[in-house]
Amino acid sequence: MNSDTPSSSAGGTGSADTTGARRNSKRPKYSRFTQQELPACKPILTPKWVISAFLLVSVVFIPIGVVSLFASQDVVEIVDRYDSDCIPAGARNNKVGFIQGSQVKTCNRTLRVPKRMKQPIYVYYQLDNFYQNHRRYVKSRSDQQLRSPRNENDTSACKPEENANGMSIVPCGLVAWSLFNDTYNFTHNNQQLAINKRDISWKSDRDRKFGKEVYPKNFQNGTLIGGAHLDPSKPLSEQEDLIVWMRTAALPTFRKLYGKIETDLQAGDVIDVTLENNYNTYSFDGKKKLVLSTTSWLGGKNDFLGIAYLTVGGLCFFLAMVFIIIYLVKPRQLGDPSYLSWNRNPGGH
Amino acid sequence: MKRYIYINDDDLAQDLYCDNRISNRKYTIWNFLPKNLWEQFSRFMNQYFLLIACLQLWSLITPVNPASTWGPLIFIFAVSATKEAWDDYNRYLSDKKANEKEVWVVRKGVKKLIQSQDIHVGNIVWLRENDEVPCDLVLLGTADPLGLCFVETAAIDGETDLKTRVIPSACMGIDLELLHKIKGVIECPIPNKDIRRFDANMRLFPPFLDNDVCPLTIKNTLLQSCYLRNTEWACGVSVYTGNETKLGMSRGIAEPKLTAVDAMIDKLTGAIFVFQIVVVIVLGIAGNVWKNTEAKKQWYVEYPNEGPWYELLVIPLRFELLCSIMIPISIKVSLDLVKSLYAKFIDWDDQMVDLETGTRSNATNTAISEDLGQVEYILTDKTGTLTENKMIFKRCCIRGTFYGNENRDALSDVELLDAISTGSTDVIQFLKVMAICNTVVPIQSKTGAISYKALSQDEEALVRAAASLHMVFVNKNGNVLEINFNGLLLRYEVLDILEFTSDRKRMSVVVKCCLSGKIFLLSKGADEAILPHARTGQQTRTFSEAVEQYAQLGLRTLCLAWRELDYDEYQEWSLMFKEANSILVDREWRVAEVCQRLEQNFEILGVAAIEDRLQDGVPETISTLRKAGINFWMLTGDKQSTAIQIALSCNFISPEPKGQLLLINGKTEDEVCRSLERVLLTMRITNTEPKDVAFVVDGWALEISLKHYRKAFTELAILSRTAICCRVTPSQKAQLVELLKSCDYRTLAIGDGGNDVRMIQQADIGVGISGREGLQAARAADYSIGKFRFLTRLILVHGRYSYNRTAFLSQYSFYKSLLICFIQIFFSFISGVSGTSLFNSVSLMAYNVFYTSIPVLASVLDKDLSEKTVMQHPQILFYCQAGRLLNPSTFAGWFGRSLFHAIIVFVITIHSYAFEKSEMEEVSMVALSGCIWLQAFVVALETNSFTILQHLAVWGNLVAFYVINLIVSAIPSTGMYTIMFRLCRQPLYWTTIILITMAGMGPVLALKYFRYTYRSSKINILQQAERLGGPILSLGNIEPQLRSLEKDLSPLSISQPKNRNPVYEPLLSDSPSATRRSIGPGTPFDYFQSQTRLSSSYLRNSKDN
Repeated sequence: MNSDTPSSSAGGTGSADTTGARRNSKRPKYSRFTQQELPACKPILTPKWVISAFLLVSVVFIPIGVVSLFASQDVVEIVDRYDSDCIPAGARNNKVGFIQGSQVKTCNRTLRVPKRMKQPIYVYYQLDNFYQNHRRYVKSRSDQQLRSPRNENDTSACKPEENANGMSIVPCGLVAWSLFNDTYNFTHNNQQLAINKRDISWKSDRDRKFGKEVYPKNFQNGTLIGGAHLDPSKPLSEQEDLIVWMRTAALPTFRKLYGKIETDLQAGDVIDVTLENNYNTYSFDGKKKLVLSTTSWLGGKNDFLGIAYLTVGGLCFFLAMVFIIIYLVKPRQLGDPSYLSWNRNPGGH
Repeated sequence: MKRYIYINDDDLAQDLYCDNRISNRKYTIWNFLPKNLWEQFSRFMNQYFLLIACLQLWSLITPVNPASTWGPLIFIFAVSATKEAWDDYNRYLSDKKANEKEVWVVRKGVKKLIQSQDIHVGNIVWLRENDEVPCDLVLLGTADPLGLCFVETAAIDGETDLKTRVIPSACMGIDLELLHKIKGVIECPIPNKDIRRFDANMRLFPPFLDNDVCPLTIKNTLLQSCYLRNTEWACGVSVYTGNETKLGMSRGIAEPKLTAVDAMIDKLTGAIFVFQIVVVIVLGIAGNVWKNTEAKKQWYVEYPNEGPWYELLVIPLRFELLCSIMIPISIKVSLDLVKSLYAKFIDWDDQMVDLETGTRSNATNTAISEDLGQVEYILTDKTGTLTENKMIFKRCCIRGTFYGNENRDALSDVELLDAISTGSTDVIQFLKVMAICNTVVPIQSKTGAISYKALSQDEEALVRAAASLHMVFVNKNGNVLEINFNGLLLRYEVLDILEFTSDRKRMSVVVKCCLSGKIFLLSKGADEAILPHARTGQQTRTFSEAVEQYAQLGLRTLCLAWRELDYDEYQEWSLMFKEANSILVDREWRVAEVCQRLEQNFEILGVAAIEDRLQDGVPETISTLRKAGINFWMLTGDKQSTAIQIALSCNFISPEPKGQLLLINGKTEDEVCRSLERVLLTMRITNTEPKDVAFVVDGWALEISLKHYRKAFTELAILSRTAICCRVTPSQKAQLVELLKSCDYRTLAIGDGGNDVRMIQQADIGVGISGREGLQAARAADYSIGKFRFLTRLILVHGRYSYNRTAFLSQYSFYKSLLICFIQIFFSFISGVSGTSLFNSVSLMAYNVFYTSIPVLASVLDKDLSEKTVMQHPQILFYCQAGRLLNPSTFAGWFGRSLFHAIIVFVITIHSYAFEKSEMEEVSMVALSGCIWLQAFVVALETNSFTILQHLAVWGNLVAFYVINLIVSAIPSTGMYTIMFRLCRQPLYWTTIILITMAGMGPVLALKYFRYTYRSSKINILQQAERLGGPILSLGNIEPQLRSLEKDLSPLSISQPKNRNPVYEPLLSDSPSATRRSIGPGTPFDYFQSQTRLSSSYLRNSKDN
């Protein structure tokens, strides 16, 4: 806030000063409130304050912008879109038919590391044009059921994936049913590159939201198979892919953590990816991307924040300059009575 | 229809008619809930919220938990209902106070003290001096042997002089003891509100009287809320009770008042509603299209191929619910809350306490404070409102010599005292008339001090003045008056009293000097009633000049005259007088005619000037409020001349060269029409001149004008800034208010008597002066104040602040609702137009009713300008009057701001929380935090003065947001579990929030600064001057130029007529301004005759001069 020298004016009207004093002495203190006479600071927008505020903001914002831009630049990111390339040339006319068919869907990709990547390297899959935030989708889950086996039949919210073969589905609902089921295998120099798939989900979810005694049951047994199958012997709290998937994304383009590579990768390293291209994004023209990324204090590679900070800082600087120029070119006395129309031509009639 | 009342019949009376319970209550315990709910649901906004709440019960379409709407809705209704209940309870308490007042009533032949509410029709009620009459009574007996009693009817008609009431002839001479047992029947009309008419018959049962039917008139009644004066006791039989009394009937049901601000808010709400519908339709169509094209391809959504019949409606309805927050549900609660605080501030205000009586100002209606700041017309009563209702003898002119001047009253004028001590005959005669020619009763207390009981304040003032000039009216012994003049005791026997009527405008007494046996006629009256009857040869010019001069000073003038009568002449006249007094038809007229015969050939003694003291600060108040652009109309039951005199003395109208008075008068339609046309023409011409033009209209002309020339009169009302309406009835007062209201003016009616009640209730704002005329007006009013001068503070301080605060609060409420709603709408575009809510139910509810409502509530303490500045520059009220702070264009600014902020929040959030961070709960919380931060800074930026409470509310709320969300995030079962902890640890979160805040506030601040400095409003200039100690405040007395203000602002003003005639033309030759004093055209007698013939019901019983 740009405040004038805080003038602590109590607004006591002049005429009643003497009575005011008497009143205040005999009345309790809160009467300053009842008389609307609480001491108040009344800032006004003087040029000095406004211009210095804008200058200050620009001085603070531009360095922050530079720092965040650097942080973002430091992040090494490999993005590989594979959804169309992984369809065999013959099946390109009928991608949906291919993906729904029972052919072998293994696909090999090669990634080149442009810069040295320090571990941990996060492996994400990115889906574009996938509306995890669709109302029908986002609501179709039962948190009660996920938490405890007692609520197994608490599936009313899960429509249309609540029952199969007359039994409740665990985990029920569209979200779980549409679990992403592409898998990736990384080899580096013909050596298997270990992917750590533990602790990729939120600890709080594993501890509190997905029960340790809840096991998948009757899952993907319906007429329509959605996405991945779950290992019925593992409790939900250990099904981390499911837990990650069920943290629905707010945007139609999102990345979800697949695993972590816990070795450094050097620039120029070539990584071979063997992937199972199972997940159907073809029917709605969704893209699938494999992303390998390091991280910075601001998270992944994202220039937006840096640019935005620089823009706002620059804009503030510009505004400050403009106001200085206006101030110098066209000075204006604040509170000039001649601007009060009723004080003009005091000679009057 | 008639009602028959059996006097003193306990069995018959009980059930037939209502008891004397006065009830101003709106509800009873039983009908409270349904009636209150019905009333609340008759408001559009509430119906809307109910509909939304019901729609939310359908889980298919609800984006959030229904509790998020039901909770606030029930809360809001509970708050409103509680407030109504509280108001009604207070009404009940004040009724109860009146109802439980104890009165003496005869029950089963015994006088008993019972509560006023238990009086039944037919009961005999005993009153003592100064008692308030509990219900409408027909007099049966009084302490006076002649069966007279005096009442003060001020509460009913506002006239403060005492009126005589007389017992019916049938009851004459009934013994005091027998009055208990009196039996009879009264046939009277069913209850009505005509306070001037009571046509009934009474028949007493044997043994009291013969079977003759005795006619009753209004003269035989004591009406509810009158006061018994100068009469030791009186008793009467109740005829109308409770709410069926004449006063109760004319009270009417007070319509709930809606302020201009409320109306504007409703209008804006309507606009937002339309906008919402458009958004819903567009998004609904888009959603259905998207669903049919895109969503069918999205296997993971599993849209069924065949939907139910209402499928097409589902998405629009979802959006309707999603957008329902566009209309802030919290606004009503917030407004109700702050409005009651405004009212409390008025109640608490120590500067509006009447120090004499200790009466505090009181806001009965807590909902209309903003209207005070938007007043355009003030309609004021005169007596008791502008004046104190205390008369003081100020000056006199005796035989051409003027006594008393600016520095001292006549009473302390040495010349006058010299003249008395030297025994100047004229002066002594003048004093004698002052002391004798009246109906005053001197009462000698034990200590020897003499107090006077007078019917009219004027008479009392004269007698007092005479007493202090050594002509002491000592005693009245039957018909013999004793005057002590410098130790010399003079005795006069009163032979006849020629009573004052408002049409004769004079009163006379015929006295016989006990010493010499000579008979004199002593008269006093208005100049036009006395001077024309001077004896031939006497020059009256000096007297008319004196009258003129005094009137200029705003004094009430009385001409005093006398004449010695021949014994024979008197005898002859006396017979005629007695005869005239006993005839039944047209008696009043006959008596007046007979009096006229005697009242001539006067020897004019001089002119006495009496001041009806204005209340403290009345002229200042009026001129301050004038400067603030408020127009004044004076509506009084009083005579034209008095009204004009008062108007002159309180700056209401300017004296001759500067001001101009235009009279509208006439007895017939034609005359009134001509007069009206002429005034209108003059008014149109003079409007270009810097002249204070006022029109004066009397009740009769007003009635004709309102009936037949409403259009012309309306134009006149619009053109004229000042008007004086005299001799108007309570209902005419209300009609005038109605007229101004119909021209879309905000009216404030201020009065102190029961005769003002209807006008007070009719006006947008009714202000009652809790003065000497009882509490009738104060009870009916929205605000009651102790003195007229508090009006300045009420309007300029309380009204103005209230308006400013509400203007901010309401627009801000829309801003914050729109902000979050726009974000939801934007989000729907990236969520497949499916109607997903970005925010969860808890956050949405808390955002609306908590996070954003608390800080803004602190704006009730905001002061844009200090009280002192506003008082110095009342013109600044213009911004409130013209509604410059809350109108579609300011609202558009807030709308734009919320759109801008929504874009900022949304764009920054989805970009900085993209890809792997795009988790729903986190994104939602980031966006919400952004909104909270922005709104905190918006409140801070719009606050003009920060007190500790505002800091606490704004910044404390921000802290509270985090505390609450951290607490909620600690509960595992909520969707928000751990979210806030997670976010608070992320540097990204804080950098994002700072970015949102700065990107959102930077442009707003820049724009505001630019407008503040380079396109400053008058408020801004004064703010700057105030804070920087600029030169404005030291400019003590710049003569404010109302006209120039008006010219400057007129293009923006809604209230000023735009097409002024710029051509100057000379005033019409017969403009009445030249003869301002020619009030009653023709001789007074003509005046009297014509009016009596025209309308006897219209006659007013004023004894006032």
